[in-house]
Amino acid sequence: MAKNEKKKVSSTLGSWVKRLFKGGSRELSEDEKFAVEKIESPSVMAVKAFFRRPLAVIALVVLISLFLLVFIGPMYIPMDLTYTDALQANIAPVWNMRDVPDGLKDNVRTISGFGNFTVGVSQENDFYIWGSTTDNLTGEDYGAIPDSIQDGNVLTAASGSDHIIAITTDGKIVGWGNDNLGQYGYVKNEADPYLQMPEEFITGTIDPDSVDFLDCGYQATALVLDGKLYVWGNTKALLNMVDIHNNEDFQQGVKAVAMSNYYAVVLMEDGSVSTGGATYTLNRQTGYSSVEGKVKNTSAHLRQKKVVQMAATDNCFAFLTEDGEIVVTGAAKYGETNVPTLPEGEKFVQLVAGTKHFLALSDKGTVYGWGHDDSGQLDVAGSTASTIYAGAKQSYLVDEGGEVTETSGLQGYFFGTDRQGRDVLTRIIHGGKMTMTIGAVAVIVSTIIAIIVGCISGYFGGWVDMILMRVTEIFSAIPFLPFAMMLSYVIKTMPIDETTRIFIIMVILGLLSWTGLARMIRAQVLAEREKEFVTAAKSMGVKEGRIAFKHILPNVISVILVSVTLDFAGCLLTESSLSYLGFGVQQPTPTWGNMLNGANNSIVIQNYWWQWVFPAIFLAIATISINIIGDTLRDVLDPKSSQEK
Amino acid sequence: MAKYILQRLGFILLVFFILSFLIFMIYNMLPIDKAAEAAQNEIKANKNAQLDYNERYEYWQKKYGTDGNKLERYGRWLGIYPYSDGTYNGLLQGNFGDSTTGKTVIDMIVEPMKNTVFINIFATFLALGITIPLGIFCAVKRGSKRDVGVQVATLVGYSLPTFIVAIVFIWAFSVSLGWFPVGGMQTAGYINWSRWDQFWDKMYHLALPLIVMTFGSMGGMTRYVRSSMIEALNMDCIRTARAKGLREKVVIYSHAFRNALLPIITLIIGWFLGIFSGSLMIENIFSLNGIGKVYYDALQGSDNEVILALQMFYICISLFGNLLIDLVYGLVDPRVRVNK
Repeated sequence: MAKNEKKKVSSTLGSWVKRLFKGGSRELSEDEKFAVEKIESPSVMAVKAFFRRPLAVIALVVLISLFLLVFIGPMYIPMDLTYTDALQANIAPVWNMRDVPDGLKDNVRTISGFGNFTVGVSQENDFYIWGSTTDNLTGEDYGAIPDSIQDGNVLTAASGSDHIIAITTDGKIVGWGNDNLGQYGYVKNEADPYLQMPEEFITGTIDPDSVDFLDCGYQATALVLDGKLYVWGNTKALLNMVDIHNNEDFQQGVKAVAMSNYYAVVLMEDGSVSTGGATYTLNRQTGYSSVEGKVKNTSAHLRQKKVVQMAATDNCFAFLTEDGEIVVTGAAKYGETNVPTLPEGEKFVQLVAGTKHFLALSDKGTVYGWGHDDSGQLDVAGSTASTIYAGAKQSYLVDEGGEVTETSGLQGYFFGTDRQGRDVLTRIIHGGKMTMTIGAVAVIVSTIIAIIVGCISGYFGGWVDMILMRVTEIFSAIPFLPFAMMLSYVIKTMPIDETTRIFIIMVILGLLSWTGLARMIRAQVLAEREKEFVTAAKSMGVKEGRIAFKHILPNVISVILVSVTLDFAGCLLTESSLSYLGFGVQQPTPTWGNMLNGANNSIVIQNYWWQWVFPAIFLAIATISINIIGDTLRDVLDPKSSQEK
Repeated sequence: MAKYILQRLGFILLVFFILSFLIFMIYNMLPIDKAAEAAQNEIKANKNAQLDYNERYEYWQKKYGTDGNKLERYGRWLGIYPYSDGTYNGLLQGNFGDSTTGKTVIDMIVEPMKNTVFINIFATFLALGITIPLGIFCAVKRGSKRDVGVQVATLVGYSLPTFIVAIVFIWAFSVSLGWFPVGGMQTAGYINWSRWDQFWDKMYHLALPLIVMTFGSMGGMTRYVRSSMIEALNMDCIRTARAKGLREKVVIYSHAFRNALLPIITLIIGWFLGIFSGSLMIENIFSLNGIGKVYYDALQGSDNEVILALQMFYICISLFGNLLIDLVYGLVDPRVRVNK
């Protein structure tokens, strides 16, 4: 202490001496330096105070990243609003839908997939399954392989949307998964529209060498033994199943069957195709949803050719003829009929199909793909392979030795899918954009109204103030939620397109929520207008309107800023509440509110947790961080409240 | 004071007319023509009678009071303008319209109204019982760790919309733990039970909705009570009271709390009215037979006259609340009366 003092004294003495000889020093002492630095504008001080609070900084970072996610994300992750896929509905978060298990990777015999999961059999007769193997509603686990299936005893296997049929090396036909609709085993109720699996398959065995073909459709199975066709399952899932079952022609000479979501087509050894009954000619059966002329041409065209292979997506059939031509028929929604043209001298030799895409292999070993490419199913096109397989939305290329060389397509759903089979993550990103936009526009509308009303009312006073405040009271007397619901209901009955409707909702939200801020601004302006700078401005002859908006308004900006931030969170909440009740933005346009709309029953809450947890988390994070930022802003902008602390 | 009350009453009446006119105009934007529908139905029902459509249409228009311009129709609907036959039959006469289910609107909403009022009053008391002591505690101990903890919790609480709180609570307490029913008002077959059992069954069903409502409103209310209490504690009179050597308890509960009460009263009334529209959400999520559910179902089923009547009910509740706030303010804060 004493030493310090001594030093101080000596340094003071030194500076005196310096000044004495060198004139007035321009060096400043430490205290003086600080005194200069302390003069900061209030806004800089507020910003510094804001960044001294870790919670607020975290909230700001989180909010900015959310903004970036929902406003930049949609550019990279496009969304097809009209897309729905029942086969992909209610899938839990999964990320291994095209990860071929290690044991299968280098000796594939067959791969088959129809819905959420894919099954494969190796050349060593081992059975593998991958993908989303649990049905969350029934708790059915497709990965729980029955005891009769062991390593090294599976000849072949095929999977439908919710069942698996496998044939063992000793001739047993084993089924597991959902059996409520006659997919395998005994039919529980004879009156139900299901065809039962043949009795001899349930109890007895078959000759494994006689298996020509096995495939599963949506909830149906087709098996060809020595040219004889057997079909069973849900007759509603395959509308011509009964006809095929009863048709004498299919007792022998059947080569293969292709099943779409609605129909089956049978390929005979002689290269002709048939749909079973007299009523189901090929024209009829695929002509249901296709261009009439085109289907007729297809049928006539095929009659002159010899078909060697078939494949079916959920809505289309494709036929590969002996001379290497591919003919597609059906309701093409994603370009399934756009078969690529081959270079001169090349021809197709293999044809497979997922639920919405086709893959074909040419005699040169090149893979071609067409159809839906939302998950990169067609990325394998251009590669070479000796055999190709397709899962529901996956493509697998296999070489001569049975080794998987390349896969592409749907890897999985990070946040699962909703009840329409749409990716929840994509919808969260796009829905966030919608929710944030609506919130922002509503806040801007309400703030503009509030500033105009508040400033005019506070500055001019008198009868203007009286009238404006009464108007404010009228608006604040409107019960928000019921009124907004009624307006939305009325708008719904009008012939307005969705974009206009959303815009009207934004304006309604803004129009109903400006009153609080207007009152606050009025009170602030009332206090400010008595101050000297206003008198000064008046005496200089500045116009009244200019004083109100240019001189006084900047002084109340801090109140506005805080209120805008908190109101933004409020608007996000009201928008999502309205949309949750079904009176805001309508499906299929997503918002965080209407994504939760499906979660209003205990089945969804319990079994499909990902459908409400993720949107709720995003909404909660957004509003919590906005509120934290708003609270902190209020603290740092209002010197009174920071003194309190 | 009397002048002040009269002034407010007059203004509220004016607002009522403005808002009801607004609502009626919005309602009229709906593509409905009750008279045309009735006339068509009548002609369909009496095919042999060879009724003249125009004549019947006019008859029904007169009957429903839908002839004349919009202002006349508005007057008839309110009950301040006579029908063509000189009678008055509107809201003021107790005619709230008919539901598409065949009942009158009054019949439809009596039972739900009881439920809604019961739920809301119960939830108000529950929330006040928790938030006021909590807010006072936080204000007195402000800056302490517990205060900061409560601040963070309440921030999260008021950032979450009611429906998310409800979904999470249903998931936790109904679906996972199975403590409460997922929805509904009573167990099936409750009619045969004793009154006491019926009451407990109802309370058992209402427990979770009430918890959710209380929880949902706790965040905002606690913060409000805390901030008004902090303001009151900073007053000069509190310093004086402390300087006098009064016990801290007396200072807080007798001096500071009374000063903090003024904004809190506004809050309580405003909030009580707010939860009428807030319970709309809760009633729908838990499928409780309340006004909100009736309103929602009416909107879903295009039951237009029920919508109109309930919308007026919500507006009346809101106006009544505003009037109440004004009067209470005038009563407890002399400055308000003098200023006006």
